[in-house]
Amino acid sequence: MGFYLVLVFFLDFFLLVDQDTLALDIHQLSQKDSILIDQRNDYLKKNLFSITADSSLLDMALQTLSAAEILGYQKGVLMADERLGLIYQYTFSNPFKALDYYLQALNLAESHAHLNEYQWGIKGNIATIYYEQEEFKKALDFFREVSDNSAAAELTAILNIGNIYGSLEIYDSAIFYFSKGLEHAQINTNPTQQANLYSNLSLIYSQAGQPEQAITTAEKSLKLVDSLEIDFVKPTAYANAAMAYLGTGDLEKAAALAQESLEYSLIQGNLFIQKSAWGTLSDIYAAEGNFKEALDAYRSFSTLKDSLNNQNRRVEINRKQMAFDFEKERTQAAAEIEKQKLVRKYTLWTGILILTGLLIASYFYMRRRDALTAKKEADFKALVSETELKALRSQMNPHFIFNSLNSIGDYILKNDADAAQDYLSKFGKLMRMVLENSALNEIQLSDDIRFLELYLQVESKRQAGKFTYQINISEDLEPGNILVPPMILQPFIENCIWHAFLGMQEKGLIEINFKKEKDKLLCSVQDNGVGRNNKNSDTEKKSMGVSITESRIKILREQSGFQGELRIIDNTSASGTRVEIILPLHLAF
Amino acid sequence: MTIAIIDDEQHCTDRILAFLKPYQKSSVIVCFDSVDSAIEGLEIHRPDLVFLDVMLGNRTGFEVLSGSEYVDFCLVFTTSYEQYALDAFRFSAIDYLLKPIDREDFLVAFQKATDKMHQKQLKERVDVLMGHISQLPNSKKISLPTKDGFEFLSIQDILRCEAAINYTHVFSKDGKKYTVSKTLKYFEGLLLDFGFFRIHNSHLINLNFIKVYSKSGYVTLSNGLKLEISVRRKDAFVKACESFLKS
Repeated sequence: MGFYLVLVFFLDFFLLVDQDTLALDIHQLSQKDSILIDQRNDYLKKNLFSITADSSLLDMALQTLSAAEILGYQKGVLMADERLGLIYQYTFSNPFKALDYYLQALNLAESHAHLNEYQWGIKGNIATIYYEQEEFKKALDFFREVSDNSAAAELTAILNIGNIYGSLEIYDSAIFYFSKGLEHAQINTNPTQQANLYSNLSLIYSQAGQPEQAITTAEKSLKLVDSLEIDFVKPTAYANAAMAYLGTGDLEKAAALAQESLEYSLIQGNLFIQKSAWGTLSDIYAAEGNFKEALDAYRSFSTLKDSLNNQNRRVEINRKQMAFDFEKERTQAAAEIEKQKLVRKYTLWTGILILTGLLIASYFYMRRRDALTAKKEADFKALVSETELKALRSQMNPHFIFNSLNSIGDYILKNDADAAQDYLSKFGKLMRMVLENSALNEIQLSDDIRFLELYLQVESKRQAGKFTYQINISEDLEPGNILVPPMILQPFIENCIWHAFLGMQEKGLIEINFKKEKDKLLCSVQDNGVGRNNKNSDTEKKSMGVSITESRIKILREQSGFQGELRIIDNTSASGTRVEIILPLHLAF
Repeated sequence: MTIAIIDDEQHCTDRILAFLKPYQKSSVIVCFDSVDSAIEGLEIHRPDLVFLDVMLGNRTGFEVLSGSEYVDFCLVFTTSYEQYALDAFRFSAIDYLLKPIDREDFLVAFQKATDKMHQKQLKERVDVLMGHISQLPNSKKISLPTKDGFEFLSIQDILRCEAAINYTHVFSKDGKKYTVSKTLKYFEGLLLDFGFFRIHNSHLINLNFIKVYSKSGYVTLSNGLKLEISVRRKDAFVKACESFLKS
């Protein structure tokens, strides 16, 4: 024996209630237009279930939606979205599109404080869709949320939860929720719902094997439908009551109720209940031992069952189609999310790249700026040392002048006017060279040698027969193409002339050599004089020219690129001193 | 031979006279100590050789030259330290002696002066000299002593100079070549302030005639000649070009 009835949905449609439309509108945009939108939404609500196949409602709802969107009238948009969801769910049996609109409405309701209260109705509708699609768990979650939060929709949600537990054959839970529904304050104001509730509860009791309670409950539903003439619930109520009586073995009563149910369902054209009634009747006849009648009833039951099965199959196919569409949409949504993730990722990377680029650019900018600063600093330092060098070079002039004046005085003392004259003109020439050269950083080696020759000529003339000199330039040197600091050897030659040959009997020899050593120019001044150690103590102190030259080389060394060196070597094997100055071989061209 | 010494300082005149002692018998020597007396004296005595001081009191020896009708003599300037004058002498190829005058230098100058060659075209050379002394921004010229005499070139018409050991080939923009027995260094010193630059040991060029500069180290002149720039001169060359373009 089976139970041939299913639970009837509590079709309360969770319609949104908005009593305060006008109050809200005053603070909204253009009064006239928003009122019009509200009126259209109200109209839609009223007509949605009275003329179910009215496709004009869809157009109207879409127009309302776009008008509300243009106006920016959020409540209007929400309402229109919700109406469109209802139209798709019930008129076009397209739960997928319906869900789409519900979700849009829900989004609006949740993101605007003044629309928050509408979310429960929308959630109820969404739950109904899940219930229809037999996604009981999701449906339960939504219904529970609704029943916990919305007083208006609480009862319907509770009853639907009961129904779901019934479908899941969890009878004690179903009974608990139905009982909770019965205790609800609102149940008495809606007798249809109340009758339905009793009827469904009696079925649950029958299924749970509690025939006594089933009968009590069924009687209550029968009383309601009969006294208030609720024709819509009658077939179900009678069928469920028949089931209850069958459960207790009151076959006569059960048969009568089943017959009545059959009659009502025939009038209403409800095949499902007809089938259940025939099934119940067949069971009753069989229990009475009236097998012929039982067989006839069962035949009617089978015929209806087959046609219903076809219908169910269509529903099943439809449901599968829906599920497929859902899955497809979900995949597309996932793809869209993936795409957006990718876009975000690329945006992030582009951002990182740009940032990195900026960092690199600023790094190079800073490096360039630092380099410029460093260059400026270096330039400044160069200028400073340049000035110092110039000062040192010009210091040599008076020093040299006084030495020469001494010589001229010497001639005058000897009363040799002609010699003094000649000496003077040579000295003048020399002075001219000193002045010209000391203005320059570098001069050609050929010019410097010319200067040294003149200087040695002048000095040898002054100390006739005291010394001779020799200037040797190695053949791999091209004096016209080598640049040297001007007059750098002169103080050492002067030292030789004035000190090296003091007290010497034989003729002195000053040998000046220029040699190339790799990329260096080796300049040397060598004498065969008494040497530094044999000098008198009062001449021991450094000559002015030598100390000036030492400073010059030091500064030149500090200037980048110059690697000069000064060496004074005492000749140990023979007598005399050797001074070496190593300069970088600096070519002019 | 008639020799004139024009100097306002007696000791300078005396020194030249001392150097001329060996030639006293074979020459007539006249001395003047002012611009006016010198102009007058030159007309009267028509000397073959004139030693002319640059500074004569608060006037100059150049006034003597511009004031005198007669300039058909060999001219040697004497000067102490007038740098601008020295350059002018060099440009005009007029000989000069620096005071105090060195005996050897004097003898060389005297030797040259007796050579007929050096008496040629003095008028034109004095013009060149005056061009440089006047400090006017007119086209300054240069006297180039060649084998056959002097060539007078506008400095801005010189395209380039090329070293040939102790000689220098001077090329003018119209394609003529003059060979002068002076070193390239001598010309470099003279022409540096006139927009010339020594790009190489053997090349001095007029920056005005650069057509192309390639960073690989070459310049192409307006006549299409491609010359190498010495690696060590590159930076200085670029700097020189910059300051040349600014001026």
